[in-house]
Amino acid sequence: MLLFILKRLFISIPVIFILATLTFCIMRVTPGGPFDKDKAIPPEIKANIEAKYHLDKPPFINTPAFHEKKWINILTETQYFYYMKGLARGDLGPSYKYLGRSVTDIIRDSLPVSVELGFYAALLAFLLGVPLGILAAYKHNTWIDNAAMFTAISGITLPSFLVAALLIYIFSIKMGWLPAGLWDGGWEYKVLPTIALGLRPVAIIARLMRTSMLDVIKADYVRTARAKGLNEVWVILKHVVKNSLIPVITISGPLIAGIITGSFVIEHVFAIPGIAKHFILAVTNRDYTLIMGVTLVYAVLLIIANILVDVFYALVDPRIKLS
Amino acid sequence: MKKISTLLGLVLISLPLFLSCSSRFKLTNDTLYFNLGTEPPSLDPSKATDTTSNLVIENIMDSLTDYDISTADLKIVPKVAKSWRITKGGKVYTFTLRNDILWTDGKKVTAHDFEYSWRRLIDPATAAEYAYFLFDVKNAKAFNEGKIKDFSKVGIKALDDHTFQITLEKPVSYFLHVSTFSSLSPLRKDVIDQWGDRWTEPEHIVTEGPFKLVQWKHDYQLTLERNENYYDAKGKLKKVECFMIVEQSTALSLYQTRKLDIIIQVPPLDIPKLKQTPEFHSGNFLSTYYIGINTKKAPLNNPYVRKALASSINRNQITEMLQKGDLPSSSLIPMGMQGYNPELGYKLNVAQAQEWMKKAGYEKKESNPTWVHSKTKEPFPTLTFMYNTNEAHKTIAEDLQAQWKKNLGVSMVIDNQEWKVYNNSLQSSHKSPETASFHLFRLGWNADYPDPDNFMSLFTSYSDNNHTHWGNSKFDSLTEKAKVILDYSKRVDLYNKAQKILLEEDTAIIPLYVYAHQSMWRDEVKGIQMNPLDRWYFDQIWLERNIK
Repeated sequence: MLLFILKRLFISIPVIFILATLTFCIMRVTPGGPFDKDKAIPPEIKANIEAKYHLDKPPFINTPAFHEKKWINILTETQYFYYMKGLARGDLGPSYKYLGRSVTDIIRDSLPVSVELGFYAALLAFLLGVPLGILAAYKHNTWIDNAAMFTAISGITLPSFLVAALLIYIFSIKMGWLPAGLWDGGWEYKVLPTIALGLRPVAIIARLMRTSMLDVIKADYVRTARAKGLNEVWVILKHVVKNSLIPVITISGPLIAGIITGSFVIEHVFAIPGIAKHFILAVTNRDYTLIMGVTLVYAVLLIIANILVDVFYALVDPRIKLS
Repeated sequence: MKKISTLLGLVLISLPLFLSCSSRFKLTNDTLYFNLGTEPPSLDPSKATDTTSNLVIENIMDSLTDYDISTADLKIVPKVAKSWRITKGGKVYTFTLRNDILWTDGKKVTAHDFEYSWRRLIDPATAAEYAYFLFDVKNAKAFNEGKIKDFSKVGIKALDDHTFQITLEKPVSYFLHVSTFSSLSPLRKDVIDQWGDRWTEPEHIVTEGPFKLVQWKHDYQLTLERNENYYDAKGKLKKVECFMIVEQSTALSLYQTRKLDIIIQVPPLDIPKLKQTPEFHSGNFLSTYYIGINTKKAPLNNPYVRKALASSINRNQITEMLQKGDLPSSSLIPMGMQGYNPELGYKLNVAQAQEWMKKAGYEKKESNPTWVHSKTKEPFPTLTFMYNTNEAHKTIAEDLQAQWKKNLGVSMVIDNQEWKVYNNSLQSSHKSPETASFHLFRLGWNADYPDPDNFMSLFTSYSDNNHTHWGNSKFDSLTEKAKVILDYSKRVDLYNKAQKILLEEDTAIIPLYVYAHQSMWRDEVKGIQMNPLDRWYFDQIWLERNIK
């Protein structure tokens, strides 16, 4: 299994490299740069700024160097080469918007917050979603099933900003029980954002769990288990639930990677200092290095999550072998 | 079952009790809770260029001078400089500094700290955007461009510990305003040398203003504490907690649940309702929202068409629809500033507008409501108005579209672009304005300093901020002349003449309104001075909470 993990990690290096190159290209062809503003900056000042961040160099191919016959400089004296050189050393570069802060600083400050919130939401999603799905499938076509699925559909269809606004209105403004926002360490700050962020994954998992369990419950080996006279609880837990978990595990990889990199809406509405806002604001600010930084973070998390999913498959389903 | 419901009931009842105990916000008269609205991109005075950063810097740093925001004309008053002399016909400014000002680490503030800070702003290695603030200083521009390496040739000198002297290339009437800028607060060379870019972090920063930075949780909150070393009358607040809540409705909810004392942005949709409460405050600041005209693109290369457009706008309708308390204005120089003249610029006059169109060579038949060129018989083309994506700008664009259709019979399409793309389009239109995709665009300008030159020099033919592609040498020379004149009434006269050219004779832009800013605070917050610069000085604010 260790070999499998190492192999997968090794394969992901070129993936990250290609992703970084693609992101770099897309950013440079997007109109507008990090220091373009409505207030014009005198050209000599702009030149100073661009020189400081190597933005005075051509993005990919240094044509002046070509004319000067400095062959190596054609590729090395470019923004792309400077960036990749830094990246290879693990240096994500300085932010162009938050002067004096490096991209690494920004990610180090904001990612743990998103991970913490995402962890609570994921916990909620599994602790609530899985039992809800089991219950609905077990009580198939009863009012319990209908109620659970109604909740699930609502969770999927209601936009999270609406859920967040409703929660704030009811529990903060009307009842005065919980704060309307902020992230001050106390548990009370975590309740509403966790519910708002977790509701959708709860619904997704519950629906998936139900569908999958309805399939498994009809399987021959379940009938056999019952025929053996096994206790019903044991049948459900050992034979049905365990085997129904496969699709849930499949989806949980990207789902968790998605939740822990944060939700722009939830972090925005609750004023939580997470990483999600940088996915959006870095683009509107054309903060090239930060865009790249958060994209790479997301990619790495996604890769790790997918490896973990494959490992879990093997643990749950004896038919799957890692190789 | 009964047991469970009893238990559930108990939990529900005890929940609010438990919650109220765990609150971290203890309301006292020592601590103010304020919403900055966003993370300050930089607290380095040489590098900060935005209002949020400056709001914080102004509270932790003192410059040579400052505005007295309690006076209507924003008088410049001594701060670190106790006095100054202007000699050689306005070319040399000599500031005498107080000798009782201490840095937060106990060292004395000297003129050398100013010399270092001013030098750092124009040093090409700093790559400061605001370096141009000092381009009127002798050789400062050349130093910034790297053409002069020897700083002793630049007109910035600490003559001794308490005397700081500036020599200008030529006299400029607004130079004293420059001495108020927070970008030019003194800086400690040793601190910046030691910590580099990280010197603004609370554990390294050394400042000399009424407050000091003690905590900075990025993208979340920063804490200012009263500077007990401060030379002047100390403020009554011991601490200011500044949050960075971007979503305005969240800030409003936190304000309404008493987690915030002051919010300086109010969700636009809530304004009509909040306006009724005594906690709502609104004021105009030195700024202008205007429509720019691409004067090179047909048919707007004809000044009569531009005049017709300008005379077909009901500005009140726009500001009433926006409901923010913006002040309709046809003058580029905003209300509250020397040279503001509400008489200038065209107001709604439909009959006159029709006349302008005829003068421009267009005619309209009773049977056909569209304008047709009398010679070429070509119909008046559909105009394109470009704006950056934003709800308020969209509302304005749609209203202009309707007004011009109704009042003038001119059709227009509106086109929105994301902010950076928009700026890029404006910039790139300079290459070939005739074929640019837009006829009209929108922009706004906030005063960097309360002097009309800051607005008027935007539209000189050589200004990088002039995207109208219009230039008039008479306007340029009037603006240049007004820059160096110190006499108040002569200056106003020159600006009246210049504005008349810009807004009426040539109609290169159509100002719409002066922006209003809104804020909310409860009666227990005292000492706030609303001012046209939208400055927030925490040392002037105090709290009188009714604490049980």
